[in-house]
Amino acid sequence: MVTAEEIEKVAKLMRIEMDDHAEYIERVKKMLGYFDLLDKANVESEEIDFTIMPIENLRKDEFIPYDEKLIEKLKNYKGTYVRAPKMV
Amino acid sequence: MKIKQSLLEYIDNVKNGSFTCEEFVLETLEQIEKHEEILHSYISINNKAIEDAKNIDKKIKSGEAGSFYGAPISIKDNICIKNSKTTCASRILEDFVAPYDATVITRLKNQDALFIGKNNLDEFAMGLTTEFSSFGPSRNPWNSEYVPGGSSGGSAVAVSALECLASLGSDTGGSVRNPASFCSVVGYKPSYGLISRYGLISYANSIEQIGPLTRTVKDTAFLLNTIAGLDENDNTTIDNHNDDYLAEIDHGIEGKKIGIIKQMMGEGTSKEVVDATNEAISKLEKQGAQIQDINLETVDYSVAAYYTITATEAGSNLARYDNLRYGYDFPLEGYEFNSYISKARKKFGPEVTRRMILGGFVPSAGYAGRYFLKAMKVKNKLTREVNEAFKKVDLLISPTVPVQPFKIGEKIEDPIALFLVDFNTVTANLTGKPAISVPFKVTNGLPIGIQLMAEHNEDKFLLQAAYSLEKDTKLPEVPL
Repeated sequence: MVTAEEIEKVAKLMRIEMDDHAEYIERVKKMLGYFDLLDKANVESEEIDFTIMPIENLRKDEFIPYDEKLIEKLKNYKGTYVRAPKMV
Repeated sequence: MKIKQSLLEYIDNVKNGSFTCEEFVLETLEQIEKHEEILHSYISINNKAIEDAKNIDKKIKSGEAGSFYGAPISIKDNICIKNSKTTCASRILEDFVAPYDATVITRLKNQDALFIGKNNLDEFAMGLTTEFSSFGPSRNPWNSEYVPGGSSGGSAVAVSALECLASLGSDTGGSVRNPASFCSVVGYKPSYGLISRYGLISYANSIEQIGPLTRTVKDTAFLLNTIAGLDENDNTTIDNHNDDYLAEIDHGIEGKKIGIIKQMMGEGTSKEVVDATNEAISKLEKQGAQIQDINLETVDYSVAAYYTITATEAGSNLARYDNLRYGYDFPLEGYEFNSYISKARKKFGPEVTRRMILGGFVPSAGYAGRYFLKAMKVKNKLTREVNEAFKKVDLLISPTVPVQPFKIGEKIEDPIALFLVDFNTVTANLTGKPAISVPFKVTNGLPIGIQLMAEHNEDKFLLQAAYSLEKDTKLPEVPL
Protein backbone atom coordinates (compact mmCIF):
# COMPACT_ATOMS: atom_id res chain seq x y z
CA MET A 1 0.00 0.00 0.00
CA VAL A 2 1.34 3.39 -1.00
CA THR A 3 1.68 5.81 1.89
CA ALA A 4 1.06 9.52 2.05
CA GLU A 5 4.72 10.03 3.05
CA GLU A 6 5.93 8.31 -0.11
CA ILE A 7 3.72 10.45 -2.30
CA GLU A 8 4.85 13.60 -0.52
CA LYS A 9 8.49 12.60 -1.01
CA VAL A 10 7.99 12.04 -4.75
CA ALA A 11 6.14 15.36 -5.06
CA LYS A 12 9.07 17.13 -3.40
CA LEU A 13 11.55 15.45 -5.76
CA MET A 14 9.39 16.53 -8.70
CA ARG A 15 9.49 20.10 -7.29
CA ILE A 16 5.77 20.20 -6.74
CA GLU A 17 4.50 22.19 -3.80
CA MET A 18 1.08 21.12 -2.63
CA ASP A 19 -1.31 23.31 -0.67
CA ASP A 20 -3.94 20.73 0.02
CA HIS A 21 -1.97 17.56 0.66
CA ALA A 22 -4.98 15.47 1.65
CA GLU A 23 -6.93 16.11 -1.56
CA TYR A 24 -3.99 15.31 -3.83
CA ILE A 25 -2.84 12.30 -1.90
CA GLU A 26 -6.29 10.75 -1.75
CA ARG A 27 -6.79 11.11 -5.48
CA VAL A 28 -3.31 9.91 -6.41
CA LYS A 29 -3.80 6.90 -4.14
CA LYS A 30 -7.06 6.14 -5.91
CA MET A 31 -5.31 6.30 -9.28
CA LEU A 32 -2.47 4.06 -8.08
CA GLY A 33 -5.08 1.68 -6.70
CA TYR A 34 -6.52 1.37 -10.19
CA PHE A 35 -3.05 0.68 -11.62
CA ASP A 36 -2.88 -2.40 -9.36
CA LEU A 37 -5.07 -4.00 -12.03
CA LEU A 38 -1.79 -4.54 -13.90
CA ASP A 39 -1.01 -7.33 -11.41
CA LYS A 40 -3.74 -9.44 -13.02
CA ALA A 41 -2.52 -8.96 -16.60
CA ASN A 42 -0.39 -12.12 -16.55
CA VAL A 43 2.60 -10.53 -18.25
CA GLU A 44 5.45 -11.83 -16.05
CA SER A 45 7.02 -13.78 -18.92
CA GLU A 46 6.55 -10.93 -21.39
CA GLU A 47 9.62 -9.18 -22.82
CA ILE A 48 9.75 -5.44 -23.35
CA ASP A 49 10.49 -4.30 -26.90
CA PHE A 50 12.13 -0.94 -27.16
CA THR A 51 11.98 0.93 -30.44
CA ILE A 52 15.51 1.71 -31.55
CA MET A 53 15.68 4.57 -34.01
CA PRO A 54 18.47 4.21 -36.59
CA ILE A 55 20.88 7.13 -36.29
CA GLU A 56 21.18 7.51 -40.06
CA ASN A 57 17.66 8.97 -39.96
CA LEU A 58 18.78 11.89 -37.81
CA ARG A 59 18.94 15.27 -39.48
CA LYS A 60 22.35 16.77 -40.17
CA ASP A 61 23.82 18.69 -37.26
CA GLU A 62 23.84 21.99 -39.12
CA PHE A 63 23.58 25.57 -37.98
CA ILE A 64 20.22 27.00 -39.02
CA PRO A 65 20.20 30.80 -39.02
CA TYR A 66 17.49 32.32 -36.81
CA ASP A 67 16.45 35.85 -37.67
CA GLU A 68 15.64 36.94 -34.10
CA LYS A 69 17.45 36.90 -30.76
CA LEU A 70 16.00 33.93 -28.95
CA ILE A 71 17.38 35.09 -25.59
CA GLU A 72 15.18 38.20 -25.78
CA LYS A 73 12.13 35.96 -25.68
CA LEU A 74 13.03 34.92 -22.12
CA LYS A 75 11.58 36.56 -19.04
CA ASN A 76 14.90 36.81 -17.23
CA TYR A 77 18.25 37.17 -18.94
CA LYS A 78 21.40 39.22 -18.72
CA GLY A 79 23.55 39.55 -21.82
CA THR A 80 23.68 36.06 -23.25
CA TYR A 81 22.90 34.32 -19.95
CA VAL A 82 19.64 33.02 -18.50
CA ARG A 83 19.09 34.60 -15.08
CA ALA A 84 18.21 32.19 -12.30
CA PRO A 85 17.71 32.51 -8.54
CA LYS A 86 20.74 32.17 -6.30
CA MET A 87 21.91 28.73 -5.27
CA VAL A 88 22.51 28.97 -1.56
CA MET B 1 -25.24 30.76 -44.58
CA LYS B 2 -21.89 30.25 -46.28
CA ILE B 3 -20.15 28.62 -43.34
CA LYS B 4 -22.35 25.51 -43.37
CA GLN B 5 -20.15 23.47 -45.71
CA SER B 6 -17.22 21.13 -45.82
CA LEU B 7 -13.61 22.10 -46.43
CA LEU B 8 -13.68 20.65 -49.95
CA GLU B 9 -16.96 22.44 -50.76
CA TYR B 10 -15.39 25.71 -49.58
CA ILE B 11 -12.43 25.20 -51.89
CA ASP B 12 -14.72 24.54 -54.88
CA ASN B 13 -16.83 27.59 -54.07
CA VAL B 14 -13.90 29.96 -53.64
CA LYS B 15 -12.26 28.61 -56.79
CA ASN B 16 -15.37 29.20 -58.90
CA GLY B 17 -15.96 32.64 -57.40
CA SER B 18 -19.18 31.92 -55.43
CA PHE B 19 -17.67 33.99 -52.61
CA THR B 20 -14.30 35.30 -51.52
CA CYS B 21 -12.07 34.04 -48.75
CA GLU B 22 -12.58 37.37 -46.96
CA GLU B 23 -16.39 37.01 -47.02
CA PHE B 24 -16.14 33.51 -45.64
CA VAL B 25 -13.69 34.50 -42.92
CA LEU B 26 -15.89 37.43 -41.89
CA GLU B 27 -18.87 35.10 -41.50
CA THR B 28 -16.74 32.63 -39.56
CA LEU B 29 -15.60 35.37 -37.18
CA GLU B 30 -19.23 36.46 -36.70
CA GLN B 31 -20.16 32.88 -35.84
CA ILE B 32 -17.33 32.70 -33.31
CA GLU B 33 -18.41 35.97 -31.72
CA LYS B 34 -22.01 34.78 -31.52
CA HIS B 35 -21.28 31.49 -29.77
CA GLU B 36 -17.95 31.89 -28.04
CA GLU B 37 -19.28 33.16 -24.74
CA ILE B 38 -21.10 29.87 -24.17
CA LEU B 39 -19.06 27.34 -26.14
CA HIS B 40 -15.57 28.68 -25.34
CA SER B 41 -13.85 26.67 -28.03
CA TYR B 42 -11.03 29.19 -28.56
CA ILE B 43 -8.25 30.47 -26.33
CA SER B 44 -7.12 33.09 -28.83
CA ILE B 45 -8.30 34.41 -32.18
CA ASN B 46 -6.03 35.50 -35.02
CA ASN B 47 -6.44 39.30 -35.02
CA LYS B 48 -5.00 39.47 -38.51
CA ALA B 49 -7.42 36.92 -39.98
CA ILE B 50 -9.18 39.44 -42.25
CA GLU B 51 -5.87 40.89 -43.45
CA ASP B 52 -4.64 37.34 -44.13
CA ALA B 53 -7.87 36.59 -46.03
CA LYS B 54 -7.45 39.70 -48.20
CA ASN B 55 -3.90 38.66 -49.06
CA ILE B 56 -5.04 35.17 -50.00
CA ASP B 57 -7.86 36.62 -52.15
CA LYS B 58 -5.18 38.52 -54.08
CA LYS B 59 -3.29 35.27 -54.62
CA ILE B 60 -6.50 33.54 -55.74
CA LYS B 61 -7.11 36.30 -58.29
CA SER B 62 -3.60 35.98 -59.67
CA GLY B 63 -3.85 32.19 -59.77
CA GLU B 64 -1.10 31.67 -57.19
CA ALA B 65 -3.10 30.38 -54.23
CA GLY B 66 -2.17 27.11 -52.56
CA SER B 67 -4.55 24.16 -52.35
CA PHE B 68 -6.37 25.42 -49.21
CA TYR B 69 -7.46 28.75 -50.78
CA GLY B 70 -7.52 30.47 -47.39
CA ALA B 71 -9.74 27.90 -45.67
CA PRO B 72 -10.03 28.90 -41.99
CA ILE B 73 -8.46 26.16 -39.91
CA SER B 74 -8.21 26.21 -36.11
CA ILE B 75 -5.30 24.74 -34.18
CA LYS B 76 -5.23 23.13 -30.75
CA ASP B 77 -3.26 25.40 -28.46
CA ASN B 78 -0.47 22.89 -27.89
CA ILE B 79 0.79 23.18 -31.47
CA CYS B 80 3.25 26.00 -32.14
CA ILE B 81 2.52 28.79 -34.60
CA LYS B 82 5.41 31.24 -34.85
CA ASN B 83 4.82 34.54 -33.06
CA SER B 84 1.48 33.32 -31.63
CA LYS B 85 0.71 32.47 -28.06
CA THR B 86 0.81 28.73 -27.38
CA THR B 87 -0.52 28.22 -23.87
CA CYS B 88 -1.42 24.50 -23.64
CA ALA B 89 -4.37 25.91 -21.63
CA SER B 90 -1.96 26.32 -18.74
CA ARG B 91 -1.26 29.34 -16.57
CA ILE B 92 2.42 28.40 -16.62
CA LEU B 93 2.56 29.08 -20.38
CA GLU B 94 -0.03 31.86 -20.55
CA ASP B 95 2.50 34.35 -21.96
CA PHE B 96 4.53 31.93 -24.08
CA VAL B 97 4.92 33.03 -27.69
CA ALA B 98 6.19 30.26 -29.97
CA PRO B 99 9.44 31.18 -31.75
CA TYR B 100 8.90 28.67 -34.56
CA ASP B 101 6.23 26.86 -36.58
CA ALA B 102 5.34 23.22 -36.10
CA THR B 103 5.92 21.19 -39.27
CA VAL B 104 2.16 20.76 -39.78
CA ILE B 105 1.81 24.56 -39.62
CA THR B 106 4.61 25.14 -42.13
CA ARG B 107 2.99 22.68 -44.52
CA LEU B 108 -0.45 24.25 -44.16
CA LYS B 109 0.97 27.77 -44.53
CA ASN B 110 2.66 26.69 -47.76
CA GLN B 111 -0.77 25.70 -49.07
CA ASP B 112 -2.45 28.96 -47.96
CA ALA B 113 -4.52 27.63 -45.07
CA LEU B 114 -5.67 30.48 -42.83
CA PHE B 115 -5.26 30.04 -39.08
CA ILE B 116 -8.37 31.47 -37.49
CA GLY B 117 -7.44 30.79 -33.86
CA LYS B 118 -6.06 28.50 -31.18
CA ASN B 119 -8.41 26.03 -29.51
CA ASN B 120 -9.11 25.25 -25.89
CA LEU B 121 -7.95 21.92 -24.42
CA ASP B 122 -7.42 20.16 -21.13
CA GLU B 123 -4.24 21.60 -19.64
CA PHE B 124 -1.27 20.03 -21.48
CA ALA B 125 -3.81 17.68 -23.15
CA MET B 126 -4.31 15.80 -19.88
CA GLY B 127 -8.00 15.08 -19.71
CA LEU B 128 -10.93 13.97 -21.78
CA THR B 129 -13.62 16.55 -21.12
CA THR B 130 -11.83 19.94 -21.54
CA GLU B 131 -12.87 20.65 -17.94
CA PHE B 132 -9.19 20.72 -16.93
CA SER B 133 -8.41 23.80 -19.04
CA SER B 134 -7.02 26.60 -16.85
CA PHE B 135 -9.11 29.00 -18.91
CA GLY B 136 -12.46 27.31 -18.25
CA PRO B 137 -14.25 24.43 -19.95
CA SER B 138 -15.54 24.26 -23.50
CA ARG B 139 -19.17 23.24 -23.90
CA ASN B 140 -20.84 20.80 -26.26
CA PRO B 141 -22.73 22.60 -29.07
CA TRP B 142 -25.35 19.81 -29.07
CA ASN B 143 -26.23 20.68 -25.48
CA SER B 144 -24.18 23.24 -23.61
CA GLU B 145 -24.80 21.52 -20.26
CA TYR B 146 -22.67 18.62 -21.51
CA VAL B 147 -18.93 18.12 -21.98
CA PRO B 148 -17.59 18.22 -25.55
CA GLY B 149 -14.99 15.54 -24.79
CA GLY B 150 -11.28 16.17 -24.76
CA SER B 151 -8.59 16.88 -24.68
CA SER B 152 -9.06 18.43 -28.14
CA GLY B 153 -12.52 19.60 -27.03
CA GLY B 154 -12.12 23.14 -28.34
CA SER B 155 -11.18 21.82 -31.78
CA ALA B 156 -14.21 19.50 -31.96
CA VAL B 157 -16.58 22.24 -30.77
CA ALA B 158 -15.20 24.72 -33.32
CA VAL B 159 -15.69 22.27 -36.23
CA SER B 160 -19.12 21.19 -35.04
CA ALA B 161 -20.35 24.74 -34.34
CA LEU B 162 -19.22 26.04 -37.76
CA GLU B 163 -16.51 28.21 -36.18
CA CYS B 164 -13.89 26.89 -38.63
CA LEU B 165 -13.76 24.41 -41.51
CA ALA B 166 -11.37 21.97 -39.90
CA SER B 167 -9.03 21.74 -36.97
CA LEU B 168 -5.84 20.03 -35.85
CA GLY B 169 -5.82 18.35 -32.45
CA SER B 170 -3.53 15.85 -30.79
CA ASP B 171 -4.42 12.32 -29.75
CA THR B 172 -2.53 10.62 -26.91
CA GLY B 173 -5.24 8.23 -25.73
CA GLY B 174 -8.27 9.31 -27.74
CA SER B 175 -8.00 13.09 -27.47
CA VAL B 176 -9.06 13.62 -31.09
CA ARG B 177 -11.52 10.72 -31.45
CA ASN B 178 -13.31 11.18 -28.12
CA PRO B 179 -14.36 14.84 -28.69
CA ALA B 180 -15.09 14.05 -32.34
CA SER B 181 -17.54 11.40 -31.14
CA PHE B 182 -19.10 13.70 -28.53
CA CYS B 183 -19.53 16.60 -31.00
CA SER B 184 -20.50 14.59 -34.12
CA VAL B 185 -17.46 15.32 -36.29
CA VAL B 186 -14.79 13.14 -37.86
CA GLY B 187 -11.67 12.64 -35.71
CA TYR B 188 -8.52 10.94 -36.99
CA LYS B 189 -5.59 9.39 -35.12
CA PRO B 190 -3.03 8.48 -37.78
CA SER B 191 -0.53 5.62 -37.70
CA TYR B 192 2.26 6.49 -35.29
CA GLY B 193 4.79 8.45 -37.31
CA LEU B 194 2.52 9.45 -40.19
CA ILE B 195 2.33 13.10 -39.08
CA SER B 196 5.32 14.96 -37.70
CA ARG B 197 5.17 15.89 -34.01
CA TYR B 198 7.75 18.66 -34.43
CA GLY B 199 6.21 21.71 -32.78
CA LEU B 200 3.64 19.75 -30.80
CA ILE B 201 4.29 20.45 -27.13
CA SER B 202 5.20 17.06 -25.71
CA TYR B 203 3.04 15.13 -23.28
CA ALA B 204 3.74 11.45 -24.01
CA ASN B 205 5.98 11.30 -27.06
CA SER B 206 5.96 7.54 -27.58
CA ILE B 207 2.24 7.38 -28.34
CA GLU B 208 0.85 10.83 -29.17
CA GLN B 209 0.06 12.06 -32.66
CA ILE B 210 -1.37 15.19 -34.26
CA GLY B 211 -4.69 14.43 -35.96
CA PRO B 212 -7.35 16.28 -37.96
CA LEU B 213 -10.95 16.98 -36.93
CA THR B 214 -13.24 17.68 -39.86
CA ARG B 215 -16.87 17.60 -40.96
CA THR B 216 -16.32 14.81 -43.50
CA VAL B 217 -13.98 11.88 -44.08
CA LYS B 218 -12.95 13.38 -47.42
CA ASP B 219 -11.83 16.55 -45.65
CA THR B 220 -9.62 14.46 -43.37
CA ALA B 221 -8.10 12.72 -46.41
CA PHE B 222 -7.48 16.10 -48.04
CA LEU B 223 -5.76 17.44 -44.92
CA LEU B 224 -3.57 14.34 -44.65
CA ASN B 225 -2.37 14.88 -48.23
CA THR B 226 -0.74 18.09 -47.01
CA ILE B 227 0.44 17.32 -43.48
CA ALA B 228 1.47 13.63 -43.59
CA GLY B 229 4.87 12.22 -44.43
CA LEU B 230 8.55 12.26 -43.54
CA ASP B 231 10.00 15.19 -41.62
CA GLU B 232 13.69 15.52 -40.85
CA ASN B 233 12.76 17.35 -37.64
CA ASP B 234 10.97 14.27 -36.28
CA ASN B 235 12.87 11.03 -36.80
CA THR B 236 9.86 8.95 -35.76
CA THR B 237 8.05 9.94 -38.97
CA ILE B 238 7.43 7.27 -41.58
CA ASP B 239 7.63 7.45 -45.36
CA ASN B 240 4.10 7.43 -46.78
CA HIS B 241 5.44 7.66 -50.37
CA ASN B 242 3.29 10.76 -50.90
CA ASP B 243 0.15 8.65 -50.78
CA ASP B 244 -2.97 10.39 -52.11
CA TYR B 245 -5.53 9.69 -49.40
CA LEU B 246 -8.38 11.26 -51.34
CA ALA B 247 -7.88 9.20 -54.50
CA GLU B 248 -10.06 6.04 -54.55
CA ILE B 249 -11.71 7.02 -51.28
CA ASP B 250 -14.95 5.54 -52.64
CA HIS B 251 -13.27 2.17 -53.19
CA GLY B 252 -15.81 0.47 -50.94
CA ILE B 253 -15.63 -2.23 -48.31
CA GLU B 254 -16.88 -5.26 -50.24
CA GLY B 255 -15.15 -8.49 -49.30
CA LYS B 256 -13.27 -6.92 -46.40
CA LYS B 257 -13.27 -8.64 -43.03
CA ILE B 258 -14.26 -6.61 -39.99
CA GLY B 259 -13.74 -7.73 -36.40
CA ILE B 260 -15.96 -6.53 -33.57
CA ILE B 261 -13.81 -6.06 -30.47
CA LYS B 262 -15.76 -8.09 -27.91
CA GLN B 263 -14.31 -6.31 -24.87
CA MET B 264 -15.51 -2.92 -26.20
CA MET B 265 -19.16 -3.94 -26.52
CA GLY B 266 -19.73 -5.37 -23.06
CA GLU B 267 -20.08 -4.12 -19.51
CA GLY B 268 -19.68 -0.36 -19.20
CA THR B 269 -21.03 0.37 -22.68
CA SER B 270 -24.43 2.05 -22.71
CA LYS B 271 -27.37 0.42 -24.53
CA GLU B 272 -27.72 3.41 -26.86
CA VAL B 273 -24.06 3.13 -27.85
CA VAL B 274 -24.25 -0.66 -28.37
CA ASP B 275 -27.38 -0.25 -30.53
CA ALA B 276 -25.73 2.43 -32.68
CA THR B 277 -22.62 0.27 -33.13
CA ASN B 278 -24.73 -2.72 -34.19
CA GLU B 279 -26.46 -0.49 -36.73
CA ALA B 280 -23.08 0.61 -38.09
CA ILE B 281 -21.96 -3.02 -38.34
CA SER B 282 -25.15 -3.90 -40.26
CA LYS B 283 -24.56 -1.01 -42.62
CA LEU B 284 -21.05 -2.21 -43.44
CA GLU B 285 -22.29 -5.80 -43.78
CA LYS B 286 -24.89 -4.67 -46.32
CA GLN B 287 -22.03 -3.14 -48.32
CA GLY B 288 -20.38 -6.55 -48.55
CA ALA B 289 -18.13 -6.64 -45.47
CA GLN B 290 -17.77 -9.93 -43.56
CA ILE B 291 -18.21 -9.58 -39.83
CA GLN B 292 -16.72 -11.66 -37.01
CA ASP B 293 -16.02 -11.30 -33.29
CA ILE B 294 -12.47 -10.63 -32.13
CA ASN B 295 -11.21 -11.27 -28.63
CA LEU B 296 -8.53 -8.89 -27.34
CA GLU B 297 -8.07 -10.01 -23.72
CA THR B 298 -5.37 -7.47 -22.85
CA VAL B 299 -7.70 -4.56 -23.64
CA ASP B 300 -8.99 -4.95 -20.06
CA TYR B 301 -5.58 -3.74 -18.78
CA SER B 302 -4.95 -1.16 -21.48
CA VAL B 303 -6.24 1.89 -19.58
CA ALA B 304 -4.06 1.14 -16.53
CA ALA B 305 -1.04 0.62 -18.80
CA TYR B 306 -1.83 3.76 -20.77
CA TYR B 307 -2.05 6.02 -17.71
CA THR B 308 1.10 4.52 -16.20
CA ILE B 309 3.14 5.10 -19.37
CA THR B 310 1.75 8.56 -20.12
CA ALA B 311 2.20 9.76 -16.53
CA THR B 312 5.84 8.64 -16.64
CA GLU B 313 6.50 10.46 -19.90
CA ALA B 314 4.58 13.52 -18.70
CA GLY B 315 6.63 13.65 -15.50
CA SER B 316 9.77 13.81 -17.61
CA ASN B 317 8.43 16.21 -20.28
CA LEU B 318 7.01 18.67 -17.78
CA ALA B 319 10.23 18.82 -15.76
CA ARG B 320 11.39 21.52 -18.21
CA TYR B 321 8.85 24.02 -16.89
CA ASP B 322 10.95 25.72 -14.26
CA ASN B 323 9.86 29.26 -15.29
CA LEU B 324 13.48 30.20 -16.03
CA ARG B 325 13.61 29.81 -19.79
CA TYR B 326 9.91 30.28 -20.51
CA GLY B 327 6.97 30.94 -18.30
CA TYR B 328 5.16 33.80 -16.64
CA ASP B 329 6.13 36.94 -14.69
CA PHE B 330 7.34 35.78 -11.31
CA PRO B 331 10.31 37.68 -9.84
CA LEU B 332 13.47 35.74 -9.05
CA GLU B 333 14.49 37.85 -6.09
CA GLY B 334 14.12 36.45 -2.59
CA TYR B 335 14.08 32.80 -3.56
CA GLU B 336 16.63 30.04 -3.36
CA PHE B 337 16.95 28.13 -6.68
CA ASN B 338 14.91 25.04 -5.78
CA SER B 339 12.24 26.85 -3.79
CA TYR B 340 11.77 29.28 -6.70
CA ILE B 341 11.07 26.41 -9.11
CA SER B 342 8.68 24.70 -6.68
CA LYS B 343 6.79 27.95 -6.14
CA ALA B 344 6.69 28.76 -9.87
CA ARG B 345 5.36 25.29 -10.68
CA LYS B 346 2.34 25.91 -8.51
CA LYS B 347 0.80 27.46 -11.63
CA PHE B 348 0.15 23.95 -12.94
CA GLY B 349 -3.48 22.96 -12.55
CA PRO B 350 -4.63 20.11 -10.28
CA GLU B 351 -4.87 17.36 -12.91
CA VAL B 352 -1.41 18.09 -14.32
CA THR B 353 -0.01 18.17 -10.79
CA ARG B 354 -1.58 14.80 -9.98
CA ARG B 355 -0.24 13.23 -13.16
CA MET B 356 3.24 14.60 -12.51
CA ILE B 357 3.19 13.07 -9.04
CA LEU B 358 2.07 9.78 -10.58
CA GLY B 359 4.76 10.18 -13.22
CA GLY B 360 7.39 10.51 -10.54
CA PHE B 361 6.03 7.61 -8.57
CA VAL B 362 5.37 4.78 -11.04
CA PRO B 363 8.90 4.54 -12.50
CA SER B 364 10.66 5.18 -9.16
CA ALA B 365 13.00 2.72 -7.42
CA GLY B 366 10.98 0.04 -5.69
CA TYR B 367 7.86 0.67 -7.78
CA ALA B 368 9.05 0.54 -11.41
CA GLY B 369 8.62 -3.25 -11.58
CA ARG B 370 5.16 -3.07 -10.12
CA TYR B 371 3.89 -0.29 -12.37
CA PHE B 372 5.96 1.04 -15.26
CA LEU B 373 7.68 -2.14 -16.43
CA LYS B 374 4.44 -4.09 -16.12
CA ALA B 375 2.64 -1.41 -18.15
CA MET B 376 5.29 -1.69 -20.87
CA LYS B 377 4.77 -5.46 -20.92
CA VAL B 378 1.01 -4.98 -21.25
CA LYS B 379 1.68 -2.64 -24.17
CA ASN B 380 3.75 -5.38 -25.84
CA LYS B 381 1.19 -8.08 -25.23
CA LEU B 382 -1.62 -5.89 -26.51
CA THR B 383 0.34 -5.05 -29.66
CA ARG B 384 0.91 -8.75 -30.31
CA GLU B 385 -2.79 -9.52 -29.82
CA VAL B 386 -3.83 -6.73 -32.17
CA ASN B 387 -1.24 -7.82 -34.78
CA GLU B 388 -2.65 -11.35 -34.57
CA ALA B 389 -6.16 -9.95 -35.01
CA PHE B 390 -5.09 -8.18 -38.19
CA LYS B 391 -4.02 -11.51 -39.63
CA LYS B 392 -7.69 -12.55 -39.43
CA VAL B 393 -9.46 -9.28 -40.28
CA ASP B 394 -8.80 -6.07 -42.21
CA LEU B 395 -10.48 -3.71 -39.77
CA LEU B 396 -11.56 -3.55 -36.16
CA ILE B 397 -14.77 -1.82 -35.13
CA SER B 398 -16.08 -0.55 -31.78
CA PRO B 399 -17.90 2.42 -30.33
CA THR B 400 -15.46 5.34 -30.07
CA VAL B 401 -16.52 6.00 -26.48
CA PRO B 402 -18.53 3.58 -24.32
CA VAL B 403 -20.97 6.31 -23.31
CA GLN B 404 -22.59 9.41 -24.77
CA PRO B 405 -21.53 12.90 -23.62
CA PHE B 406 -22.20 13.45 -19.91
CA LYS B 407 -22.94 16.59 -17.94
CA ILE B 408 -20.20 19.06 -17.07
CA GLY B 409 -18.97 18.24 -13.57
CA GLU B 410 -20.60 14.79 -13.54
CA LYS B 411 -17.38 12.74 -13.49
CA ILE B 412 -14.75 15.33 -12.56
CA GLU B 413 -14.42 14.10 -8.98
CA ASP B 414 -14.06 10.45 -9.94
CA PRO B 415 -10.70 9.77 -11.66
CA ILE B 416 -11.47 6.10 -12.34
CA ALA B 417 -14.79 6.89 -14.04
CA LEU B 418 -12.89 9.38 -16.21
CA PHE B 419 -10.15 6.82 -16.97
CA LEU B 420 -12.76 4.38 -18.27
CA VAL B 421 -14.09 6.85 -20.83
CA ASP B 422 -10.79 6.17 -22.65
CA PHE B 423 -11.37 2.40 -22.63
CA ASN B 424 -11.99 2.04 -26.40
CA THR B 425 -9.48 4.56 -27.69
CA VAL B 426 -6.16 3.88 -25.92
CA THR B 427 -5.54 0.58 -27.77
CA ALA B 428 -4.80 2.41 -31.04
CA ASN B 429 -2.29 4.65 -29.25
CA LEU B 430 -0.53 1.88 -27.35
CA THR B 431 -0.19 -0.19 -30.53
CA GLY B 432 0.54 2.68 -32.95
CA LYS B 433 -2.39 1.76 -35.22
CA PRO B 434 -4.48 4.33 -37.11
CA ALA B 435 -8.06 4.83 -35.91
CA ILE B 436 -10.92 7.10 -36.84
CA SER B 437 -14.16 8.19 -35.22
CA VAL B 438 -17.02 8.61 -37.69
CA PRO B 439 -20.19 10.42 -36.56
CA PHE B 440 -22.99 7.90 -36.93
CA LYS B 441 -26.02 8.66 -34.80
CA VAL B 442 -27.68 11.23 -32.56
CA THR B 443 -29.73 9.65 -29.75
CA ASN B 444 -31.62 11.71 -27.16
CA GLY B 445 -30.07 14.80 -28.72
CA LEU B 446 -26.48 13.65 -28.15
CA PRO B 447 -24.04 12.24 -30.72
CA ILE B 448 -22.50 8.77 -30.97
CA GLY B 449 -19.36 8.05 -32.99
CA ILE B 450 -18.09 4.73 -34.32
CA GLN B 451 -14.43 3.83 -34.25
CA LEU B 452 -12.63 1.93 -37.01
CA MET B 453 -9.04 0.79 -36.59
CA ALA B 454 -6.65 -0.62 -39.21
CA GLU B 455 -3.15 -2.05 -39.44
CA HIS B 456 -0.19 0.32 -39.11
CA ASN B 457 0.39 2.41 -42.25
CA GLU B 458 -2.96 1.33 -43.75
CA ASP B 459 -4.31 4.84 -43.34
CA LYS B 460 -5.55 5.07 -46.90
CA PHE B 461 -7.58 1.88 -46.55
CA LEU B 462 -8.94 3.05 -43.18
CA LEU B 463 -10.21 6.27 -44.76
CA GLN B 464 -11.89 4.27 -47.54
CA ALA B 465 -13.69 2.18 -44.92
CA ALA B 466 -14.65 5.28 -42.93
CA TYR B 467 -16.05 6.86 -46.08
CA SER B 468 -18.18 3.72 -46.64
CA LEU B 469 -19.58 4.07 -43.14
CA GLU B 470 -20.18 7.81 -43.47
CA LYS B 471 -21.81 7.60 -46.92
CA ASP B 472 -25.60 8.05 -46.85
CA THR B 473 -25.65 8.49 -43.05
CA LYS B 474 -28.25 11.15 -42.31
CA LEU B 475 -27.59 13.15 -39.16
CA PRO B 476 -29.48 16.11 -37.74
CA GLU B 477 -27.91 19.55 -37.85
CA VAL B 478 -26.20 20.86 -34.75
CA PRO B 479 -28.90 22.81 -32.83
CA LEU B 480 -27.23 26.21 -32.61
